Amino acid sequence: MKEAGMGPQLERLRDEALRRRLEFAEARFATARSSGIMLQDGRADRMGAGERAGMGVRVLVNGAWGFATTESTEFRDWLSCLDAAVDMAKVSGMRIAEPVVLAEAPVVVDEVKACFEVDPTTVPLERKLAAVRGYEEASACRAGERVANVITGYSDGRQLEMVCNTRGTLVSSESVRVMIWHTITARDGSIRQRAREHRGRQGGWELVEAVPAADFSVKAAERALSLLSAPPAPAGKFPAIFHPSIAGLLVHEAIGHNAEADLVLAGQSILEGKLGTKVAAECISIIDDSTIPGSWGSYAYDSEGVPGQKRVLVEKGVLKGFLHSLETAARMGVPPGGSARADGFMHRPIVRMSNTLIQPGQASLQELIRDIDLGIVLRGGQWGYVWCEKGQYTCHAGEGVMIRGGQLAEQVRDVSISGMTLDTLANALGVSRDFELEMPGTCGKGGQSMPVNGGGPYVKVTEIVVGGQA
Amino acid sequence: MSGEQLEDLLKAAEIACEAAMRAGAEFADAMADLGQGRSVSMERNAIKSSDARRWAAISVRAFVAGGTGWASASGISQETAMRAGQQAAKLARAAEPDPDFVDLVTPAAYPEVEGLYDERVAQITGAQIASWVTHNIDGALAVAPEAMVSGGANAGWRQWALLSSTGVRVARRSSSVSMSVSVVIRRNDNVGSFYEWDTARVLSQFQPEGLGGRAAEEALRYLDSRTMKSGTFPVVFGPLASGGLLGGLCGAASAEEVQRNRSFLIGKKGERVASEQVTLVDDPLIPGGMGSGICDGDGFPHRRVSLVERGVLNTYLHSHYTAKKAGEENTGHSTRGGIAPTNVIPALGTKTAAQIIAEVDDGLYVTLGRPAPDTASGQVSALVDAGFRIEKGRLTHALKNTMVAGHGLELLSNIDAVSSDYRAEPGMVLPTIRVQGVKVASGA
Repeated sequence: MKEAGMGPQLERLRDEALRRRLEFAEARFATARSSGIMLQDGRADRMGAGERAGMGVRVLVNGAWGFATTESTEFRDWLSCLDAAVDMAKVSGMRIAEPVVLAEAPVVVDEVKACFEVDPTTVPLERKLAAVRGYEEASACRAGERVANVITGYSDGRQLEMVCNTRGTLVSSESVRVMIWHTITARDGSIRQRAREHRGRQGGWELVEAVPAADFSVKAAERALSLLSAPPAPAGKFPAIFHPSIAGLLVHEAIGHNAEADLVLAGQSILEGKLGTKVAAECISIIDDSTIPGSWGSYAYDSEGVPGQKRVLVEKGVLKGFLHSLETAARMGVPPGGSARADGFMHRPIVRMSNTLIQPGQASLQELIRDIDLGIVLRGGQWGYVWCEKGQYTCHAGEGVMIRGGQLAEQVRDVSISGMTLDTLANALGVSRDFELEMPGTCGKGGQSMPVNGGGPYVKVTEIVVGGQA
Repeated sequence: MSGEQLEDLLKAAEIACEAAMRAGAEFADAMADLGQGRSVSMERNAIKSSDARRWAAISVRAFVAGGTGWASASGISQETAMRAGQQAAKLARAAEPDPDFVDLVTPAAYPEVEGLYDERVAQITGAQIASWVTHNIDGALAVAPEAMVSGGANAGWRQWALLSSTGVRVARRSSSVSMSVSVVIRRNDNVGSFYEWDTARVLSQFQPEGLGGRAAEEALRYLDSRTMKSGTFPVVFGPLASGGLLGGLCGAASAEEVQRNRSFLIGKKGERVASEQVTLVDDPLIPGGMGSGICDGDGFPHRRVSLVERGVLNTYLHSHYTAKKAGEENTGHSTRGGIAPTNVIPALGTKTAAQIIAEVDDGLYVTLGRPAPDTASGQVSALVDAGFRIEKGRLTHALKNTMVAGHGLELLSNIDAVSSDYRAEPGMVLPTIRVQGVKVASGA
């Protein structure tokens, strides 16, 4: 996969865009390499590797955007691609709201290398396989005869993105990510329950060496086993405490997406017109921070060449800001936020989250629980989605623990919740000092997938709708 | 686009396959892909961006003692194809043996499926797509001047070639065009929203006109949504929601899930898994169907398969691998890495959707939602994304913050009506269904 010489070639294309007097042009060359191992039911019978590379160019013509891509690394194809982008910008010009203006941003020329201790590509396959097998065997041993299926996976990936625009920015950013995951399905008669653990960091093989099976795959096995004897969750409204994993899902789905300035400007966000107003209880402060070292969603520069930064979204319940691209920052009259990210060369940058979290407080979990007579602690955040414009969200928690008389009581399974974003945030009663940022995953938006992380403390809310069956 | 390009793709796949075999693979297959598309996206009643994309990629599977190596790369040059083939073989040699692997699909006669490619779709210009977008913005605004319209439209084509060491050699092209329109209407603190869409492989089946207006009309109906009392109710799932439940059944019927011990349909083949109202056929041969094609991802010829007949599960969905492992007939549902249905067509009932709703005294109607059972546990716990309260046979008010739940088998067994009328899309029959005894939790 060709990378050498692409920087100068991007500059040649940029110079061609300048020669044509385009208002703005931004060319991005991106490569991605990945490899993975999947071990299932005792056999590592699937090994994979992938690589992709190509260039996408975005232009502004008469205030309208055009974008085009090619997987070719030949300069003549890049010139054709520039022509196509200009043609598409003319198409956009058929009906624009107002000419696009971009916020001023410092011109940056920089090269960022990935940080890791042990390059995962130098680790022999046998060693990787041994580690994965170790996780699987420990889990299967713990689950014993009740194990129905076990999948353990490992993947590493390296991404390189070069951004070059007509303002003079030329940034090359490299990142390396490693992830391990373990899913176990346990069975007891006709009941099947699944539990999953995953760990993901930006870094190298050292991530795997730092994760013992007892804190990873064995934990999943124990959860799957305990869920077999748990009753289904009750249906109805309950006072609830969100585990940090659910808080991470909630902050991502319910607030994070609504704080994306492109959705705000599109009229798709419930936070439109609420800047500076109270949108949550005072105990709630939310940030999106792409500078957290090693976190799955971090980056040095976004796909517009703007440095990643810490952004305050909600401070003590008051909406303080949104996530911005160059375009949305200009439209709202604020400095660029470095939140424009693109999924490889095939997509144009759009506003995205990075590491989004609720800030911890002072309470202990026990203090949050003790005045709840009948409620539920939700944990095991698995997935969720949000209807931004309506402020309606759902999260699948997978498991929970009932609270009875101020004490943790029986475990329950198959827990999903729904809520109205602003109601939930306004009804927050407290947050714990315990905190986790351990939800490395992929967020989908506009057909693009992006690595993000989420987390928070335990969050207590007055009530939440549980879609249970008991 | 030309036959020459299909030959180029076949050549790339052949080079990749040969490279894998020379590098020690016992079996190999390769798929080479080439495509191009144009799209126009809209945001708040204006065009946001117009994009032109093209792609070329190759993916190779190599097998050594059943262990699988996968390699994929962008581009279809000889060098890329050869490197991908060698990489796949290297990984296959490192993979552990799988005694259940027997071989790959052998050559067969493929059915002809009409309407999968339309040169007129391949030639659609950005300006034409933009005109659909602007007309639909205007259509929505004509219905509701305060409407905020988003979404987009796209058109493109794809060519692919699949070639295996066992002699499979097939190449085809397809086209697709689609549009979706999302409308949000705000009146004070009330929000109504809805989306409409259309999709087709051939231009004659594509009808983008009126999507914006219809989405706006629907969005108005969802203003002033409310919660309802919690309890157990009959639930009517409309055409855009019924597929979640029926499609979830097909997902759990994947032989891969069954053989891996993680499906709630294990041991259910030949048994009743739904009410007698439910009959499902998977038909990949429907002309112009969005899920249609001549063969599956392994190169196995497509055919019509009866999945569920009057509530009884007739077969699991198989790939070549799972069929050999089970000693059962291959149903042709491989997606190269997974198993999935193509065009799932439910048999229709005798009552209209209106009659089905009119028979409900106290219940709810789900317009949008994803009530798919969890594949392993079978549990359903789903948000009503958009829906209505039904009182005395009439849709009364829109719903918010409401969830439906139950076990998939229970919900499927409690289906007491499938409508006679339905929403038709290429390769899709989307009826209304009614399920009795559904647990409902709401924020009331």
